[in-house]
Amino acid sequence: MFLAFKEMQRAKTRFGLLIAALGMLVFLILFQQSLQNGLLTSFVGAIRNQSAPVLVYSVDGQRVIQGSIMTPDLESLVRSTDGVAAVGRIGQGTFSVTDADGELTDTTLLGYERQDLGAPSVLVEGRYPSATGEAIGSTNDADAGFGLGDTVVVEPNGFEITIVGLADDVQLNAGPTLFVTYDDYVAAIKSVNPDAGDPLPNVLGVAPVDGTTPDQLVADINARSTDLDALVRRDAADETPGVAQVRQSFQVIFLLYGLVIPCVTGLFFLIITFQKSGALTLLRAIGAPARRLVASLLLQAVVIVLVGYAIGLAVYTPLSQRRVGGIQLRFETPAVIAWAVILLVLGLASSLFAARRVLRIEPVEATTGGANR
Amino acid sequence: MRLSLRELIRRPGRFVTATVILTLIAVLLMFLGGLLDGLLRLSTGAIRAQTADAIVFSQSSQASFLRSRIEVADRQAIASADGVDEVGGLGVVLLGARVPGNGPRDLANVALWGYELPPVGVPAPPAPGEAYADELLRADGVEVGQEVLIGPARTPIKVIGWVTDTAYNGQGGLWADLGTWHQVLAANRPDAMLPDGVVQALAISGPGSPADVVAAADAATGGRTYALTIPEAIDSIPGVTEQQNTFNQILGVTVVIAMVVIALFFALLTVERTALYGVLKAIGARSRTIFGGLVVQATVVTLIASTIAAALVIVLDLLIPPGSIPLYVSVGRILLSVVLLLIAAVIGSAFSLRRVLHIDPASALGSST
Repeated sequence: MFLAFKEMQRAKTRFGLLIAALGMLVFLILFQQSLQNGLLTSFVGAIRNQSAPVLVYSVDGQRVIQGSIMTPDLESLVRSTDGVAAVGRIGQGTFSVTDADGELTDTTLLGYERQDLGAPSVLVEGRYPSATGEAIGSTNDADAGFGLGDTVVVEPNGFEITIVGLADDVQLNAGPTLFVTYDDYVAAIKSVNPDAGDPLPNVLGVAPVDGTTPDQLVADINARSTDLDALVRRDAADETPGVAQVRQSFQVIFLLYGLVIPCVTGLFFLIITFQKSGALTLLRAIGAPARRLVASLLLQAVVIVLVGYAIGLAVYTPLSQRRVGGIQLRFETPAVIAWAVILLVLGLASSLFAARRVLRIEPVEATTGGANR
Repeated sequence: MRLSLRELIRRPGRFVTATVILTLIAVLLMFLGGLLDGLLRLSTGAIRAQTADAIVFSQSSQASFLRSRIEVADRQAIASADGVDEVGGLGVVLLGARVPGNGPRDLANVALWGYELPPVGVPAPPAPGEAYADELLRADGVEVGQEVLIGPARTPIKVIGWVTDTAYNGQGGLWADLGTWHQVLAANRPDAMLPDGVVQALAISGPGSPADVVAAADAATGGRTYALTIPEAIDSIPGVTEQQNTFNQILGVTVVIAMVVIALFFALLTVERTALYGVLKAIGARSRTIFGGLVVQATVVTLIASTIAAALVIVLDLLIPPGSIPLYVSVGRILLSVVLLLIAAVIGSAFSLRRVLHIDPASALGSST
C-alpha cells in the first residue's frame, strides 16, 4: 500500500493528468445527466405537474396535446363513464407572444376549465387567475420576460395576458408556457384568427370518484371507445412523443462516456505496468508476493477514480444549479450516487487487465532482462 | 513503412483490440450521422422539395406554417410586385389518418399539404379529394387507390400516387389541392380554419436571385409579411438547428474518443516495442521512419475498422423496418465518417511521436528482445 502511494507521489504529473481527465469526464456525465432531466422537465413538466390525475386524449392526437381533438361525442362518452367524478376541458396552442422585454417568442398557452383539473398543482408565488387576461407562468421563464406581474401580448391583434402566479417546472415544449382559464384560451385563438370556428378541447382532465383508482378509471374510459386514449398523469408525461427519443439519445451519450472511462483507465494502467515491468519483476524476485503488487495497483485505481470523481463533482455542484438556454438544471443526487458506483466498478474492472499482466511476471526474468517483453 | 505493414500481416492478433474498439466507434459515428440525416430528411423534406425561390409568412408567425396567415390582398400585392413572377398558395395541417386494414388505434401521422406550385417530384395538384402520398406512408400500410380517413372528422382522401422525400415534422406528406386542404382544415381543426383565398404561406419565384425575390416580396406588403429563402425556411423549422447542433456535438465527442483510443493503443504499442525500436535505431533506422510506420499502422487499422463498420451500418439499414428508426445511410456520410476517423487516427498516433524521438539507440545495448 505504501508502495502505491509512494509511486503516485513520485509521478504526480502522470497520475494528476489521469485524475484530471477522469474529473472532466465525470463532470460531463453529471452535467449531461442534469441537462437530460432539465430538458425532459421543460418538455413535459406542464403535464407532469398539473392537477388532473387522468388525461384523456383522442387517438388522433397520438398523445400530443395540441394534436388531440375531443369531439362532443367523445366528451360525452368520457363524462358518462362509471367512476368519473369530474371532467375539465383543457386546450393548448402555440402562439407568437411579445413578452415583457419586447421580444416575439413562441409561447404555449394551456387553457384549463377547472383549477383542480389542469392548472399547476402548486404555486410558488402569486395566485391563480381570477379575472380575464390573467395567467400562471413558469419560474423557469420568470427572468425571460414572463415574470410575476409582467404583461405579455398575443400576436397578432394584441390579446393581453398578465402573469399573476408562478409555478415550478410547468413548461411545455421547452419554451415559455402560460396557464390561462379555458375562456381566455378560446379568446386568444379568436384573437389571432378571427375566422376560427369554436375550438374543441384538446384533452380532458378527469378525476375519479372515491374508491376508484386513476388506473382503473383509465381502463374504464379506454374501454368506452377505441377513439379515446386515457392516461394517468405520469404516463401522459412519459409517453409524450419525443420524451423516449431524448432519453435514448442521452443514453447513447452516457454509454459512450461509460466506455471511454474504462478504456482510458485500463490503457493507462497497462502502459504504466509495462513501463515499470522491470521494477515489478525485481520486486517479485526479491520476494514481494504478486498479491501485494496487484493490491497496490487496484488501490491506485480506486484512489484515482475517487479523486477524479470528487474533482468532477466539485465542478458539477455549482453549475448544477444554473439555467442553460431556458432549461433549469438541478443537482441530481441519485445520478451522483449511481455514477460513483458504476465508475468505480468500471475503473477497477479495467485495471484488472494490468493486474493480469502483473500476475504473469516471472521473477526469474530479473536475471535474463526479459521483463519488458 | 514495409516493416510496419509486414507486422500488421504477420501479427494481426496484436491489433485486434484496437480494430474492434475502433469498429464499434466507427459504427457509432456512422449510425449517429445516419440518424441525424434521417431525422433532418423527415423534418425538412417538404420544404427542401419546394421549387420556389422563397416562402412568404405573415409577420408574427415566427415562420410557423400553422401560425401564419396570408390575406388575399397581400397575395395580390406580392404577385404584382416587380421581381416576383410566380406565386402559389401553401398550407399544411398535421393529423392522424385511419388506414383501411389497420387497427382502430393504429393511425398514420400525416402532414396534409395544399399546394399550387408543384414541389420537386410532385405532379400538378390532383382533383379535389385526392392526394399524392409520401413513400414514408407505405410503412403505415397506405396503398395507392386506398381511401384514408383524415382527422377526427374522418375526411376521406384517395391516394393516387407516390412521391419521395416530402416528409414534414416527422410525418409523411399527403399532397392535395388547396381546396381539399381548406376543407380538411375546417372539418378537423376549426380553431385553425381559414376563409377561401387565405393561405398559410406563399411559395414565390422571380427572375432574380432568391435574395432579390425576398426583397421584392417584403417590400410589396409593407411589413405585414416576410419572405425566407428555402435554406432559411429549413433552418426556421423548430428543432432543426438544435437537432443538428446536438448531434454534431455527439459526433465530435465520438471522434475525440476515437482519437483517445488510438493514442492510448499506439502509446501502449510503442512502450511495448521500446527495446525493438532501440535496436532499429542502433542499426540506422530514423525516428521519422519508425513514426511513419506507426502512422501507417494506425491508418490501416482505422481503414479496416471503417470498412467493417460501413458494411455493418449498411446491413443494419437493410434490417431496420421502414418507418421505425429514421436511419438514412448515404455514401457522403460514410466517407465523411471515414475521413474524420482517419484524421483522428493520425492525430492519435502522433501522441507517440515524442516517445519514439526519445528512444536512445544505446538502449539496444544489453537489452534482450
